Amino acid sequence: MTHANSEMLTPERVRSAAFSPARLGRRGLDEGQVHAFCEWISDELGRLLSENASLQGEVMRLRDRLLDGKGKSGVQPEDAHVQAVYVLSKAQQTADRYVADAQEYSRELAQDAHLRRDEILREAKVRASMILEEAHTTASRAASEVRDTRESMPSSERQKLQAEIAYLRTFSDVCRTHLRAYMESLSRSIEEWERVELNGAPVALPEPVVHTPQRA
Amino acid sequence: MDEQRLKESFARIAPYGDEVPLFFYSHLFLSHPEVRDLFPVSMAGQRDKLLNALVRIVSDVSNHDALVPFLRGLGRDHRKFGTLADHYPAVGASLLATLAHFNGPAWTEDLAHDWTEAYTVLAQVMTEAAAEDETRNPPFWGATVVGHERRTMDVAVLRLAPDAPLRYVPGQSVAVECDARPRLWRFYSMANAPRHDGTIDFHVRVIDGGSVSSALARGVSVGSRLRLGAPVGTLRLDMSSTRRVLLAAGSTGLAPLKAILEQAAGLAEPPQTHLVFGARSAAELYDLADLEKMAAQWPWLTVTPAVSGEPEYRGETGTVADVTGRVVPLADHDAYVCGSSAMVAATVNRLRSLGMPQNHIYVEDFGWSES
Repeated sequence: MTHANSEMLTPERVRSAAFSPARLGRRGLDEGQVHAFCEWISDELGRLLSENASLQGEVMRLRDRLLDGKGKSGVQPEDAHVQAVYVLSKAQQTADRYVADAQEYSRELAQDAHLRRDEILREAKVRASMILEEAHTTASRAASEVRDTRESMPSSERQKLQAEIAYLRTFSDVCRTHLRAYMESLSRSIEEWERVELNGAPVALPEPVVHTPQRA
Repeated sequence: MDEQRLKESFARIAPYGDEVPLFFYSHLFLSHPEVRDLFPVSMAGQRDKLLNALVRIVSDVSNHDALVPFLRGLGRDHRKFGTLADHYPAVGASLLATLAHFNGPAWTEDLAHDWTEAYTVLAQVMTEAAAEDETRNPPFWGATVVGHERRTMDVAVLRLAPDAPLRYVPGQSVAVECDARPRLWRFYSMANAPRHDGTIDFHVRVIDGGSVSSALARGVSVGSRLRLGAPVGTLRLDMSSTRRVLLAAGSTGLAPLKAILEQAAGLAEPPQTHLVFGARSAAELYDLADLEKMAAQWPWLTVTPAVSGEPEYRGETGTVADVTGRVVPLADHDAYVCGSSAMVAATVNRLRSLGMPQNHIYVEDFGWSES
């Protein structure tokens, strides 16, 4: 008979083991076959025994773990529901944290924006009041300067200014006179134009002329 | 039911703190996934509320006079969240599982029995109150925004037209939910006495990082839809008092006090009233124009604006507490104080130190009232 070491040792296999008769001149079964069979049984038994030992260790380890768990938090080993509750709780806490983080972030952003806004408004207010103050100062300085000028203007200056005023007044008079003359000539021309139109002869329109008066 | 045993079993789980409601809600959502939609995405605030409610219920378990109105209010209030009578057994089962879990080996048949009995009573009181309320009020009031005015960078005044008449007492508030922030309810006070056309005003101040306040102040416009819960709060004008009235308002804390002021104006003989309206800057006195119009119209009313953050302000400078103490002769006054919690604490302290008796001072609270 033959057997491979990979073959499984089963009760059936042992019971049905068949050996050839011994070689001629010998009694009983083939010694070689019996030896080989016993060797296989011993190998297989050793393998099973060590497997059994390691399984027993595993069982002990698992049992200890269960007992430990029970002692700590009261989880019942068969209650898979409790494990699910823990899983969902973890997920919920993660979601809570995300929402809280987002809220905190938006709070910080809004707060920064507020502070910045207040700062800008404060600066603007300070600048506005500075500008107003400056304008006030300038205005009152100008007013006092005008007063001072009126009171303490040297006579040469005053004469110069008066001359300027006289010149401007003359210029405006001249302009007015010229303009009036132009308007008059224009209306005269129109009348003439209408008359000529009736008679069929052309007329020239007058040019406006302004003579600038010479400065004093 | 052994109330002492019940309290002891609750005391045993107290050290687990937030883990208790966390376990409870996970258990509930796993057993009944359909109720998850009734809650907001983040459950952190929700867990605090549950824990606080449980603490209050357990500590008052022998004090029925306090407990029953609380539970009835809770039952009515839960209608707006879409809570149905069918949900109560599910909640009870998850509550018991949670208690058993955290009690560990100390959990016994007797305890399970005690808690079942207690929860059955609690659910009965809540569902009965909800059922009674159903005959009178909708679960929530739908409302359309008919006015939206940004008064300052941070304050908006909203006018709403509720679909059904919303009956309330001036000084009360309602929880508000908007589409942009589903399942998040925040309290706002009605800022007017009830009107013939049924419209109500809210004064909304943007809180940095506040999701609902910013949505209401910036995201909502005329035509938007909001949902309002039932009116709550016990701040109201003491009609039996013959004393003069001091209204101390910090920023949008003005809202309930303005409603009370309008209510006083409707009385045959309005009480002499002094309103101090405070803000950080003059620009933030968002409703001063309207208040001054009222003061011009009603000889019994004096309005004093108070500005705390602008030394150059030409009127009264300082906090509401400072200005109130300085300008209002407090003898023979009732004070109504509303604003931030810091402002309320400071003002009440000042009034007390100036000799005003505690029972002449009224502040807002969100307790449920049987009205």
